Amino acid sequence: MIDVRQLKKSFGSLEVLKGINAHIREGEVVVVIGPSGSGKSTFLRCLNLLEDFDEGEIIIDGINLKAKDTNLNKVREEVGMVFQRFNLFPHMTVLNNITLAPMKVRKWPREKAEAKAMELLAKVGLQDKAHAYPDSLSGGQAQRVAIARALAMEPKIMLFDEPTSALDPEMVGEVLSVMKQLANEGMTMVVVTHEMGFAREVGDRVLFMDGGCIVEEGKPEDLFDRPQHERTKAFLSKVL
Amino acid sequence: MDFRFDIIVEYAPYFFQGLLATIGVSLVGIIFGLILGLFIGLGKMASHPIVRWPFVWYINFFRGTPLVVQILLVHFGVMPLLFAQPNAIVSLAVALSLNSAAYVAEIFRAGIQSIDKGQMEAARSLGMTHAQAMRYIILPQALKRMIPPFANEFIVLIKDSSLGMVIAAPEIMYWGKAAAGEYYRVWEPYLTVAFVYLVLTLSLSKLSHYLERKYSTS
Repeated sequence: MIDVRQLKKSFGSLEVLKGINAHIREGEVVVVIGPSGSGKSTFLRCLNLLEDFDEGEIIIDGINLKAKDTNLNKVREEVGMVFQRFNLFPHMTVLNNITLAPMKVRKWPREKAEAKAMELLAKVGLQDKAHAYPDSLSGGQAQRVAIARALAMEPKIMLFDEPTSALDPEMVGEVLSVMKQLANEGMTMVVVTHEMGFAREVGDRVLFMDGGCIVEEGKPEDLFDRPQHERTKAFLSKVL
Repeated sequence: MDFRFDIIVEYAPYFFQGLLATIGVSLVGIIFGLILGLFIGLGKMASHPIVRWPFVWYINFFRGTPLVVQILLVHFGVMPLLFAQPNAIVSLAVALSLNSAAYVAEIFRAGIQSIDKGQMEAARSLGMTHAQAMRYIILPQALKRMIPPFANEFIVLIKDSSLGMVIAAPEIMYWGKAAAGEYYRVWEPYLTVAFVYLVLTLSLSKLSHYLERKYSTS
């Protein structure tokens, strides 16, 4: 589904990704962990080219992102993204936040887009907020709307960039449970997070990144219980 | 002090003509300033420095030199190249449009750049094109923030149209000066002119407040 080969990226003289290789299968939930500044968010943002990269290649569903004839907007239609700071559109109701892209990008008629939106709002438990504006929502509610908004495009892959890091602790659970449900339904997911409990319980595979490299990867029970590298051990001893 | 209302009454038809001229050149200045300013503002945000350069210098020139100099250059320099008999009202309208475009460009640029980067990223991540993201996400939010600086700029523009006096454009200030010259009186003509500008600028400021309220509640 996603193939990343020798991915390199620098911000000026700072090399933040030093040759990342990763392969993510359909239906797999891959959790990326690591200290801040390790390049994990940059890696995730390269997957839909919100962040351009310097070297290497990314192939999503058979499409090379950097190929001359690739329509990036078409690729992004299939790759949903959820941001740390929600990024809901504050001038639109929750319903319009969700229906905008299906109507403007997929050219769905309004009825179809709204039916889909209401179905997704029911799924994240927020039907009653359809006509509310984002600034009236709590962080947890806003993030669940953001997930619904991304799902409305019926993407094949979902990227989560620290989706619970900006939330008050009591709201983390409601967002994680929506993500867990999504994982159980077989969605292909790449999740950058500090929620080790989620990584262990929901992740099929965990990547540990440090200093712009994938230092270690494996099944959650292996990586958490029997880490091989010193850096992994040091990181886990601080967060677990 | 005797205040001679008869002077104002006598000059009323001229003041009225001048008022229409002032409103006319101001409207032209606002409308063309907005259109031209949007393009210059977008040009200044271009990623390539060579593309940016002419827009940057347009803004530098029109913000960095006195409007009165620009009016003289347009009327006695540029217009005679295009027309045999330059019309002062047209020259004034052109100079005001060119000048306000520079300020409008900066308001557009600042307004667009004040919107959180995450908004564009969220829109693009949903598959929207840059143009769609601008139209549906960035501009609606940015325009709301641009209302107060636009009102500010257009209030200045209305008042600055009085500089048309230096090329004898028959706007309201010109007629005020004419009345003052004919009767050797200061208070009657100039207070009348001041009052007219005040009515115009206060109306615009009310309109701006109305728009701000309207768009902050919806």
